[in-house]
Amino acid sequence: MDVSKLITRQVFWNLVGKGFPVAQVVVYIIALVVIGLFFWSLSRSGFFTRFKMWRLATGTDVARLDKPWSRFWYAVADVFAHRKILREPYQGIFHFFIFWGFFILLIGTAIVALQSDIVEPIWHVWFWQGDFYLWYSVVTDIGGAIAIIGALMALARRYFFRPKWLDNRPEDIYILWFIVAVLVTGFLVEGLRMQATEVQPGNLMHPYVWYSPVGRLFAYMFAGMGIPAIKVTHKALWWTHMALAMLFIVYIAWSKLLHMFVTPVNIFLRNRTGQPHLKLIPPEAFETAETFGVHNVEEYSWKDLFDSEACMRCGRCVEVCPAFNTDKPLAPRDVIQDIREYLEKKAKFAIDPTSGQARIIPDEEYEGPALIGDTIEKDTIWACTTCMACVEACPAYIEQFPKLIDLRRYLVMMEADFPSEVQEVFKGMENNSNPWSIGAHTRADWAKGLDVPLMSEKGQAEYLFFVGCAGAFDDRNKKVATALVKLFNAAGLDYAILGTEEGCCGDSAKRIGNEYLYQALAQANIETFKAYNVKKIITMCPHGYNILKNEYSELGGDYEVYHYIQILNDLIKSGKIELKKPVEGLGTITYHDSCYIGRYNKVYDEPRDVIRSLNSGSLVEMKSNREKSLCCGAGGGRMWMEETLGTRINQKRTQEAIDAGAKTICTLCPFCLTMLSDGIKELEKDEEMQAFDISELVLKAAGIE
Amino acid sequence: MNTVVCMKQVPDTETLIKINPEGTGIVTEGIKWVMCPYDEYAVEEALQQKEKFKAGKVTIVSLGPDRAIEAIRTGLAMGADTAVHINDAAFYEKADPYATAAALAAAVKDLEYDAIFCGKQAIDDDSGQVPAILGELLGLPVVTLVVKLEVSEDKTKAVATREVEGGHAVVEVSLPAIFSAQKGLNEPRYASLPGIMKAKKKPVDVKTVSDLGVSVEPMTAIKEMSLPPARQAGKILEGEDAVEKAKALAKALHEEAKLI
Repeated sequence: MDVSKLITRQVFWNLVGKGFPVAQVVVYIIALVVIGLFFWSLSRSGFFTRFKMWRLATGTDVARLDKPWSRFWYAVADVFAHRKILREPYQGIFHFFIFWGFFILLIGTAIVALQSDIVEPIWHVWFWQGDFYLWYSVVTDIGGAIAIIGALMALARRYFFRPKWLDNRPEDIYILWFIVAVLVTGFLVEGLRMQATEVQPGNLMHPYVWYSPVGRLFAYMFAGMGIPAIKVTHKALWWTHMALAMLFIVYIAWSKLLHMFVTPVNIFLRNRTGQPHLKLIPPEAFETAETFGVHNVEEYSWKDLFDSEACMRCGRCVEVCPAFNTDKPLAPRDVIQDIREYLEKKAKFAIDPTSGQARIIPDEEYEGPALIGDTIEKDTIWACTTCMACVEACPAYIEQFPKLIDLRRYLVMMEADFPSEVQEVFKGMENNSNPWSIGAHTRADWAKGLDVPLMSEKGQAEYLFFVGCAGAFDDRNKKVATALVKLFNAAGLDYAILGTEEGCCGDSAKRIGNEYLYQALAQANIETFKAYNVKKIITMCPHGYNILKNEYSELGGDYEVYHYIQILNDLIKSGKIELKKPVEGLGTITYHDSCYIGRYNKVYDEPRDVIRSLNSGSLVEMKSNREKSLCCGAGGGRMWMEETLGTRINQKRTQEAIDAGAKTICTLCPFCLTMLSDGIKELEKDEEMQAFDISELVLKAAGIE
Repeated sequence: MNTVVCMKQVPDTETLIKINPEGTGIVTEGIKWVMCPYDEYAVEEALQQKEKFKAGKVTIVSLGPDRAIEAIRTGLAMGADTAVHINDAAFYEKADPYATAAALAAAVKDLEYDAIFCGKQAIDDDSGQVPAILGELLGLPVVTLVVKLEVSEDKTKAVATREVEGGHAVVEVSLPAIFSAQKGLNEPRYASLPGIMKAKKKPVDVKTVSDLGVSVEPMTAIKEMSLPPARQAGKILEGEDAVEKAKALAKALHEEAKLI
């Protein structure tokens, strides 16, 4: 077909003449070889071996393949819209540029192949012309340009302003220069071709050269060159570009670039429960199972192991990790990478050299490095506050910290190996059902003289107010419990407490890894709830809220659970609690998002609404807030452990409040309140700053004595 | 190294203590019972000695009613091998330190041991006499308030560090001997889950005092028991300034508290 009169261009210009299209055929041969090399590389780099190892994993997991279409469309939307990736503007944009640039070029190349190698030979139709061609030309040029800009932005970050949480391996730099090289050679080829065939005033395409804006700019570089020189240079560069592009495809299999295939799969396999997954240990397993938690890598679930493949070390989890940011030996990314390296070493797995089959090496034969200690240090395991910032931040939907809880479970239940101060906490929970080891009979003492209805006397109530250990036993937090019951009474809420029949919710025990103790505590509460036919529960503490709402159901306890802030917000909005006067002397207020109410349960707005409704001072946000809020340091049972490594998390958080110019820090979590009150004292700001629970301020504003 | 640990189940330190209507003891219903904390040191020491010698058996001996089995299981979960439960509620009810020691001595007599470990005292009645009387009845040396113990390789003697007022005394003793454990001797372990599960299947030899051939009568009896007086509320001294307040404090210390 004669295309010389159309607004289009010749495919394989300067490479294919009138005769047999040798170059065209060669390219297809190369492409086939490259596809072969790609799979050979996957095999050589151990991907298929690791696949076999994942399949041997024995740990349980949540459903990962239910609702496949919903999963598929979620993954497609996430990949193309970069929902999580764009949460970080700079990294988000450069990834978006590289991704979309390459995606456009991929589609562009496919269109050319379709035109020249299928449609034209078969139907002798040339659709790649006219307006379509001009659109094509503009879009692909811009695609290439944004991909170069993206790669250069990434390089600039690697070279000039690399954050400390971003590790830098040689491949990280190579990949980026590789991308630049592929694209720049492409534009050079385009520029040479345009200089020879389009930019002269007599050329048919001359009026349309700016539809290839980047190619046109590159063409200026060759303005003085003669046609023969251009043709020689073009040919050389064209083959260089081709070789680089093909090598790049092979390199994907060897490098972290493989994430372009693996990470979308991991998004497809995401945990749809919205809660970081802690493996279920069925109660009957305590009588029968030989071992608990994870001690050998194969005891993880296959998805735990697959997570290590999906990680490409972006470091977002590290950036937000409270332990890392206070110089503790924990970086969530490194935990995942350590698991991956452990698999790469084929530790704990033997591969049959002839059949290629993998098998687990039994403990008694195994002499290689241990998972706990040699691979992941105990200090790392204990540093985690389970704040969920890593899980929330991860664009690949990896669940980092639950892998540490699995290790804690092994250490605690199998080895009784944990920070020594925790023993008293366990004993307190066992003997008195509270971590403070205060006599269980005093659990309701805080309520004396406060006109608080007891379930045992009232028999039934719409809401059970589950006070929790902090509200019942900790002096500072007893004031919060007191404020709440005064507000409930004033609003005429139909509620009751369990008094001494209430027990520890078990959150700290579970997060420290003592699932056995947790289940005993939870079962006791579930029995009590059942006796009173409890349907709706209000908790004072986000930890109790989360575990009653999301985790008791595994043990047969299903309730409608509210954190008090949701109830107060409703009572204020409906006018049942009237805020009569502003609270004096609060100054600028900041709100500290508790991890277990925020990230775990996505309650971000109600607390802010209530604080604003107090009308008692302007509300400012700390540097890290909402999804990226910094933990107070007390989650995951850290409340009960000494913080001997690095600096103190509560001080870092308090400093953020100071930097935000706040005079009052508001919380709705007893642990946070304790940690931030201590932070204020430790930073010697107690003259000018205060920490309050929101309910205390609501009480004051309501003018209730 | 074979050892015996004499252990008592006591009320948890935080539990609510009420005096019974007769005023001769405490109300035992509704109480959380635990292994006496000093006995935990004793169990731990026995386990550590066994682990050090990589051989031997740890036997727990406890006098108490049915409920004492829970504390015995705790000890077995920590790692003790077997137990003798002298389950005799009537005897236990009246037992004073002498009767207790007599029952324990009868139970220990037939066991093989290189050492006997006790807590320095039970935290409920606080008598602190049982280790010494037991030594007398068994004809064994007794080293009390031990905070460190080193047993010779041949298990014929031991060097024990005792806590004494303001310092330490190092004592050499031939084995077998009785050691009473003081806080600081070790850090008692937390039972692992396999330990707890295994403890359910470990043998516990249940005996009454008559099975043991003990027919002693207690030498003492509790006549009356009372709770300490409720703590008085604190008093905040009024005054214009520090000088005023200091004067008021001095006056109160002199006239009300009669301390100066």
